[in-house]
Amino acid sequence: MIDRALRYKTETRWFPNRASADRWVLMKIEFSLNQPNQNKRSMSETVWATGDIRLALAELPPIVPLNVRRQIERLLQPWPQGRYTPAYHRSGGILNLFTPQWGEAQDEVWHKMLAEWHAQTFPDDQARRAARAELEQRWNNTPHPFFAGLTPAQVMVGGGEQEAKLADEFLNHLEEFFDETAFDSEGDMLIKTLMFLRSWQLQPLSNGQTPQQIILAERTELLNRRARILAERA
Amino acid sequence: MSERNRRESTNPQVPSVYREWIHLADEVIAGQEAEPRPDNWQQLALEWCTSNETERSALASYIATYHKKLGVVWARELLRLEVLLQANDPCAIVTHYKRALRAYPRCALIEAWVAGHILRHDGEIWQAREMCLNAAAELPTLAIPFYELGFIHYLLGDFAGALEHYDQAAMRVTAEEADQAARIFYNRAMMQLALTNDKQAAIAGIKEALHYKPDYAQAKETLRDLKHKWRWFR
Repeated sequence: MIDRALRYKTETRWFPNRASADRWVLMKIEFSLNQPNQNKRSMSETVWATGDIRLALAELPPIVPLNVRRQIERLLQPWPQGRYTPAYHRSGGILNLFTPQWGEAQDEVWHKMLAEWHAQTFPDDQARRAARAELEQRWNNTPHPFFAGLTPAQVMVGGGEQEAKLADEFLNHLEEFFDETAFDSEGDMLIKTLMFLRSWQLQPLSNGQTPQQIILAERTELLNRRARILAERA
Repeated sequence: MSERNRRESTNPQVPSVYREWIHLADEVIAGQEAEPRPDNWQQLALEWCTSNETERSALASYIATYHKKLGVVWARELLRLEVLLQANDPCAIVTHYKRALRAYPRCALIEAWVAGHILRHDGEIWQAREMCLNAAAELPTLAIPFYELGFIHYLLGDFAGALEHYDQAAMRVTAEEADQAARIFYNRAMMQLALTNDKQAAIAGIKEALHYKPDYAQAKETLRDLKHKWRWFR
């Protein structure tokens, strides 16, 4: 007897460029990791609670393609003790969907913090290392201008159910608005999409909260849950 | 191959259209008897390309530093750029800059003129940002690089960073640059609204923008909406 039918759902979306379409796939996978399953626990929570990625992967239906499994495995890896550099390779969710790719080389926030650390004098190597570790935690938990104001930790944790729903709604609006629009160039399309996104994230919804506020609060809540589960495990 | 190169090489229309733009620009230059020669190229470049004293002094300093690497050919390319800038054709401006002027030593002033077009036409946010940062550092009295940086940070979703740059631009813009001043004050007001939701402050800022450009349609519409029912997103 088959208790869960295999389903392969496809959907059509409008994107200004290939890079954002690729990031959308990653974003959807990140969302799925925070979706509670039948046991009311998400795949991320399973890994945080047990430290066993295989347990979480075992929850995936067999139809999930190998490349997606590999992506999931990568996303579920334990976070670094120090700086959350994998954040550079996460989607950053809907607020970062269209931001052109950037990485450590362009991270002037980190470079500035590091330059200040280099300029300081320390009594010994231990103090120097402690200051560096503190600096890395500060970077992890400080809103980053290139992550649309999310902290690297908020980027690492991925989006939750509410953001997934908001992202779908936004992409529906985007398609409705731009599908028939003629643009001057690819760049024009990207810039207008970004302007559209920034207006959308600021517009209060019926509950009085803006999408930006909802997304930030949900990611913070996911981080709190992660901290609680990790503390229980320890 | 980079996205930028791929896009340039896959547009078969550009070479022939480019030749047409250059032909038209040359006609304008010839019509004004402004053909650069070994004895007049420096003077022509300075007289043609800017009436702003700060910009003229920056260009003069660039010519003095690199005069051995510049010359008649460079001056002709600069004059062509000026014609294209006056025509406000972003595709022509960006193409001409990349083909003809990028090979010369970096000129912060020229970069300040074209960065906004590279941003809006090509969507090259990081390249435009780097050009603006360089221009802001080299020519700290100019408002335009700060204005573009404000817009770039808005696109990145960094509203606080955007406001900081618009503040810097507002401190530098002069009454003679009325159009630019209006855009700076309008965008600054919008960022203040995004950050504080203070409609009265935004109204005051937009009135300031309209003081510089009374027929600024977008500002007039926003002012009307702010006084009645304001929405970021429709």
